[in-house]
Amino acid sequence: MAFTGNFMCTSFKVEILKAVHNFTNSTGNTFNIAMYDNNASFTAATTAYTATDEVSGTAYVAKGNTLVNVTPTSSSTTALTDFSDSTWSSSTITARGAMIFNDTASGDPSVVILDFGSDKSSSSGDFTIVFPTADSSSAIIRIA
Amino acid sequence: MRTPALEMSNGFKVEVVTTQNRGQTPEEVAERCINKIVGISVTADPVIRQQAEAYKTQIEQVIVHYMKQAIQSDRTTVYNVLLDAGEQKLADLIRRL
Repeated sequence: MAFTGNFMCTSFKVEILKAVHNFTNSTGNTFNIAMYDNNASFTAATTAYTATDEVSGTAYVAKGNTLVNVTPTSSSTTALTDFSDSTWSSSTITARGAMIFNDTASGDPSVVILDFGSDKSSSSGDFTIVFPTADSSSAIIRIA
Repeated sequence: MRTPALEMSNGFKVEVVTTQNRGQTPEEVAERCINKIVGISVTADPVIRQQAEAYKTQIEQVIVHYMKQAIQSDRTTVYNVLLDAGEQKLADLIRRL
């Protein structure tokens, strides 16, 4: 029972082909990032948001933060999308990983699982998740 | 001829930045900001890369400057809100930050 790496959920790949997700800024779906402790055991087989093992703490509410989508674009032959960095301000939180999920779609389907590598903590401070550079080799979600 | 398969990689990674008993400084936020604005390819020509790095540093300094101005301006707003609420001591505390 622990985080074992970063995963793009297999169900998400299927759902893309079924047009379940829309990452367009403003007019697309709402995506959230929820954080978990190391009792969570997510893999590529994870399919949806769960409150089990979700962290609690000052300034953290269930289902986490709403993300700001960056409308999908392309770089050479790779399609990609990105999110703005997400911060829990004035927070006291300890988390080991996170899940991005679609809060608009029925059943809150999961998108990716993020492993922080170790427990990360804020104490009366900022807890910020910094998304990778939005290019063809690093973007959080890309189709090559 | 083989058509390459569509691929969605697990090769992504986020970074986590946390602070203890303080917020992030304008310099810390500007560093994240500039990485969103300017991306430099690892395969870029060294001369182009050098120019891009110099441009990135300049823009980062501009961001820090205006970020500090925004913070000061917001504090003026907070100062006046507290003053209007009769919280002179708190208002002075904010003004002196």
